[in-house]
Amino acid sequence: MNVEIEDLTRRFGRTEAVAGVTMRTGPGVFGLLGPNGAGKTSLLRMMATVISPTSGRIRLLGRDPGQYGQRREIRRRLGYVPQHLGYYPRFTVVEFVEYFALLKEMPPTRVHHAVAAAVERVGLGDKATAKLRTLSGGMLRRVGIAQAIVNDPELLLLDEPTAGLDPEQRVAFRALLRDLGQRATVMVSTHLVEDVGAACTEVALMDRGKIVFQGTPEELAARAEGTTAAGDAPLERGYSAVLAQART
Amino acid sequence: MSTGSVVVPVPDETTRRTLPALTATSGLLRLEMRRSVMLWMLPLVATLFWFITYRPSMAYPPLWNVRAMSMQTTALSVFAPTVVGAAAWLGWRERRHGMTDLLIGTARPRWSRQLATWAATTCWAIVAYLGCGGVLYGVTAWQGAWGGPLWWPAVVGVVSMPAFAALGFAAGVLRPSRFTAPLVAIGVFLALQISLQFIHGDDSYWQISPLVAGPWEIGPDTGVATFYRYLPDLPIAQVLFLAGLTAALLGTLGLPGDAGGRRLRRCAAVVTAAGLLTTTTAVALAGTGRLDAHGMIAIPLLHDEGDDRPLRYTPVCNHTPIPVCLHPASAGYLPSVTAALEPVLTELAGLPGAPVRISQAAARYEQGPDNRVSISRAGPPTSGTPQVFHLLLPHQTATAEFVAELRVDALQSIVNSVVGGGRNASPAQQAVTEAILGTSTLAPGSPAAAAAQRLAALPAAARHAWLVEHVAALRAGQLTLEQLP
Repeated sequence: MNVEIEDLTRRFGRTEAVAGVTMRTGPGVFGLLGPNGAGKTSLLRMMATVISPTSGRIRLLGRDPGQYGQRREIRRRLGYVPQHLGYYPRFTVVEFVEYFALLKEMPPTRVHHAVAAAVERVGLGDKATAKLRTLSGGMLRRVGIAQAIVNDPELLLLDEPTAGLDPEQRVAFRALLRDLGQRATVMVSTHLVEDVGAACTEVALMDRGKIVFQGTPEELAARAEGTTAAGDAPLERGYSAVLAQART
Repeated sequence: MSTGSVVVPVPDETTRRTLPALTATSGLLRLEMRRSVMLWMLPLVATLFWFITYRPSMAYPPLWNVRAMSMQTTALSVFAPTVVGAAAWLGWRERRHGMTDLLIGTARPRWSRQLATWAATTCWAIVAYLGCGGVLYGVTAWQGAWGGPLWWPAVVGVVSMPAFAALGFAAGVLRPSRFTAPLVAIGVFLALQISLQFIHGDDSYWQISPLVAGPWEIGPDTGVATFYRYLPDLPIAQVLFLAGLTAALLGTLGLPGDAGGRRLRRCAAVVTAAGLLTTTTAVALAGTGRLDAHGMIAIPLLHDEGDDRPLRYTPVCNHTPIPVCLHPASAGYLPSVTAALEPVLTELAGLPGAPVRISQAAARYEQGPDNRVSISRAGPPTSGTPQVFHLLLPHQTATAEFVAELRVDALQSIVNSVVGGGRNASPAQQAVTEAILGTSTLAPGSPAAAAAQRLAALPAAARHAWLVEHVAALRAGQLTLEQLP
């Protein structure tokens, strides 16, 4: 199991953003669905070792992120695209990705090739030497994905990765996710259920800090059967049905 | 986006340990240097340097001491605020661009990442400083300055760059705000300037300021480090101080829990402690300084007595009837000195009491009360047989002031040695002195002033002929005003 979480809690003051989440997952694309404020980003940030949990147990890639040495090992094998992607506007695409390759302690001899490959995989080969400040929002999102996959991570965490991507890029991105998910655990936090349906092998639905559903996309869609849940697609109806059930 | 599989395996522990970490660090440094904001500050630094350091330095003749010391006294006033400001701006960069989450999730310790950013700023600052210094030193060498370049002021300047960068960077990291960079830049500039006002005497702790290149009250003095070596005592203390300050500031950045692992933070603590200890030691050393007779600050614990031996040199002489010989470093002053002295020396040449040669003397510096430094001639005004007059060059840059001061100091003494009298001069001696020097110090309308005007109106050759005949009686005080021509 690449991700093992048990009764994980994270509080910000009086607010309990993540309230006793338990989850285990291996390689594959894992969708994390939920309304705004459900705790998806907080859960992802804990998995990205950006923040530490208030309580509970977490093991990533068989290591304990609470130990400095093991946390470093996890970070070497981790890719992360936060919800709000920051960037250095004066860096070029290649420089930015290379910067992260070096910060992820990739072997220097492999950096050049890995950077070129990552930039190509997100379709920015022709913009490789463009300064980040000249790129559109969608292109910047792809730069963020490139820096996340440059080290060929075993655990890839993507927070709203398709925000700002046009439909064509979104289709390509889902294909990339499926490809990456063959070897690694890819966890995608999104509020777009079509992303989940197209790319994820497993899905979890969060509400008010708790996981209220975990299963396959098909199982989520099946939850709508026999209900009057709103939605245009089976997955959307399943999503609405689970949420409605959880809130009653 | 392509789904083509590109396998970039994460190396195992053994492989990673054997990989040259230096290559990765140099890669980070290369990226940081290419995009460092300090790069954009270089034209500003060069322009300010040209106005504040280069042009004023060029007002002096090509003297290594004055030019080199300006690389500390004025050049650092230019570099300090710009380097501190740029570094503070970079220190705030991660927060400004919302990169914190992304960067926390990377394997390399935060401290190591920060050091790369600081190092890039430092490298550009040093490149700029060396470039500016290179131009100043190059021009000075091209102008034929005597002796070799003085490196210690430049060394202090170079070592200041990491310290300024560390100061600004630490401020940017610890107090991230858009106002930090301008505030800290202005603050450092003012602090450096104001700290100089606290220097009282030669044992002031404030001498540790990198802007101090010698006894602060003297300023850029042409007599310092000419006849004697440039003492490295104070520069060594300053280098220690700056290195300690750099270590303490950078070490502080490595202390927080999220800066890195336990071992790394322990290392940061050691670096911080060592830095603080070195800084304190350097300040204490500066407080034991004393002004030596040659115009430099000597620190007993760092002093090498070998530096007190005078330098060997071959004087540069002119061809006036009484030759004037200057130290080769002051050769640029020879035309002005010749122009100021030649008319009088021509008149006095060969007379009893007149010197056979005028030779530049070293200055003697003495720390006085109220933070004053007195500069006088080392040794007596005349010595030897036949007599040699020891000339102390005035500390003036403007030619008119230089000549005026030479007349007051040197010519008065030389004429007195021929005419005699001194303070108790007879009216005849006063009148002759006034006529030869061409001054008008006697009371207007007095008999002595009238006699002086009469004598001054004579051709120089006629005055010389009269002096040849009557100088012995004049020196003995036996002549009256009426006996003057």
